[in-house]
Order: sequence, then C-alpha cells, then structure tokens
Amino acid sequence: MNPSTSSVSDFERNARLVLEESVSRVDARTRSRLNQARQLAVEAAGARPRPRWRSFALMPAAGAATAALLLGVMLWQRESAVREPVQLEGRAQAVEDLDLLADAEGLDLVEGWDGPGPGFYEWAADQTDGNVQSSG
Amino acid sequence: MLAATHGDVDLTDEAKTRSRALNQFLAGVELKAFKIAQMALRHEDDALDAVQDAMLQLARAYADRPAPEWKPLFYRILENRIRDMQRRRTVRGRVISWLPFRGDEDDEEPDPIAQAPSPEPQPVKRLELDEAVGALEKALEALPRRQQQAFLLRTLEGLDVAATAAAMGCSEGSVKTHYFRAVQALRAQLGDLYV
Repeated sequence: MNPSTSSVSDFERNARLVLEESVSRVDARTRSRLNQARQLAVEAAGARPRPRWRSFALMPAAGAATAALLLGVMLWQRESAVREPVQLEGRAQAVEDLDLLADAEGLDLVEGWDGPGPGFYEWAADQTDGNVQSSG
Repeated sequence: MLAATHGDVDLTDEAKTRSRALNQFLAGVELKAFKIAQMALRHEDDALDAVQDAMLQLARAYADRPAPEWKPLFYRILENRIRDMQRRRTVRGRVISWLPFRGDEDDEEPDPIAQAPSPEPQPVKRLELDEAVGALEKALEALPRRQQQAFLLRTLEGLDVAATAAAMGCSEGSVKTHYFRAVQALRAQLGDLYV
C-alpha cells in the first residue's frame, strides 16, 4: 500500500469529519433562512409554466389550424387575383369619365350642343334618317 | 381528486411528487452549499443570498431534469452566483475606494445573543474539534478559489470526479489537479493536525 496515498486518505477522512462538524454548527437563524429559501424555490418550481412536452399534445390541433389558415390565405389571394381585372376595368371607366368631365367639348357632345344649330344627337339622327331615305 | 390548486396553477400528482423530491434534494444540500458559499464569500448574508438564488434558479429552470442531474447543476449555478458576487464586490470596492466619504455603514453591529458564549460545557474533545474546524476553515479560505471548490465539492459534498467537473465547468483532469494541489496545500499548512 502506498504510504502517501494512505496518508492522503486519512487526511481526507479527517477533513471530512471536521467539515461535517462545521456544517452541523450552522446556527438556527441561518437554518431558518435556508428553510424559507427552499420553500420559495419549491413554490417557484410548482408555479412554473407547463413543460414543453405537454404542448406537444396540442400539435395536431395547432397543425390543423395552421393548415386551415394557410388554405384561407391562399384562397383569398386567388380570389383577389381573379377580381383584380374587374377592379381595374372599373378604375379605367372612372378615369374615362374624369377625362370626359374635364374635356368641355366632349361633355357638350354628350349633353347636347349649346351653340347655334341642332345638337349632336339630333344631327346624328338626321344623318341616319337621311341615309335611310336616300338608300330607300 | 387528481389535481389540487397551487397558486394559479394546478398541481398534478406528478408535479407534487417532483416538488417533494426537489424539497428533499434542497434540504440535503442547503447546509453544505451554505458552508461552501460562506468560505468563498466570507460573508454570511452574501452566502445565504447566493444559496437562495441557486435554489430558485434550479427550481425554475431545471426542476424537470432527472433528479440525479440536480446536484452538479445546483453547484454549477451556485458557483456562477458566487463568482458574480465576487466580481460585483471587487467593482464595488474599487468604486468605494474612490469616494471621499466612505463610512462603515454596511458593517452590522454584532448580534449580542449570537455572540454570547454557549452555556453548554465544552469538554476537551469539543475544544480540539473547535480548533480543528477553525484551522481548516481558515486554511480553506486561503486556498485559490478553484482548489477550494474542488476540495469542498469532493470532500464535503462527496461528488465524484465527473460530477465535480460538471459542477466546476472544467475537465476531469483539471479537477484532479486542483484537488491534489488543495490537499497538498492544506496538509502543508495544517501539518500533523490530521495526519
């Protein structure tokens, strides 16, 4: 047996006994405070949010909800894409109306000629009648 | 009834069992942890704060881990807390040394009841043990921090080399080196007291 190893073991054993004695001498006030700290820690552990693995149980429902949401977004986007030309058409019509309102000459043509002589529609009707009569 | 309310949450039987196990674990380590922190910080209240913080952090972050992992984790957290407090104390010391008015406001008056001699008669054996405790604590406080930590975790807490390495955040080889040097230094200082 190695004497140095043996002496170290004796030293360790004695040191452990002395340290344990030192621990046993911790006063009542400190023990009480440690006890309170422990109770707080145990309460904190009890008040923790549920562990992650429990949320795995909700994975199918969460997956289904996500899939439904994605499907809804895709359908909505497709519907928007179909409606878009209609909306553009409407916008083009509005721009055309604005041009007409801004253009006084065009408006006169639509509403009627304020100047001397017949209005545009009367003139156009006469022209048509005249062509019919001449052809008839 | 399977669940009982605990604050705002329900405690299942499993959670209650875990709480009981955690309570038992902490009760088993708290005094030794306090002594380890006290020797490192040389201040009773700071040591209590460090142990309390370590308990809370273990409970909040690692209570779901298997119970055999708790001890190395707990001492790892405690060691980090001790190191933080030592750093903060160093910074505070530097700042205070620059202040023109530095009184001793933090020095608490000693509690006369705590200071009073115990009425219990102390036989010779008791006196020898007192001397041994005092000498070992003083020698331990004089050790470098890592040697002190390795010695206390191995000797007082009884952790094996692997668990001590996990608690100290170093290799097993480093633990063996620190421990060997600690034993050598203590034996050199304490001499025949233990041999």
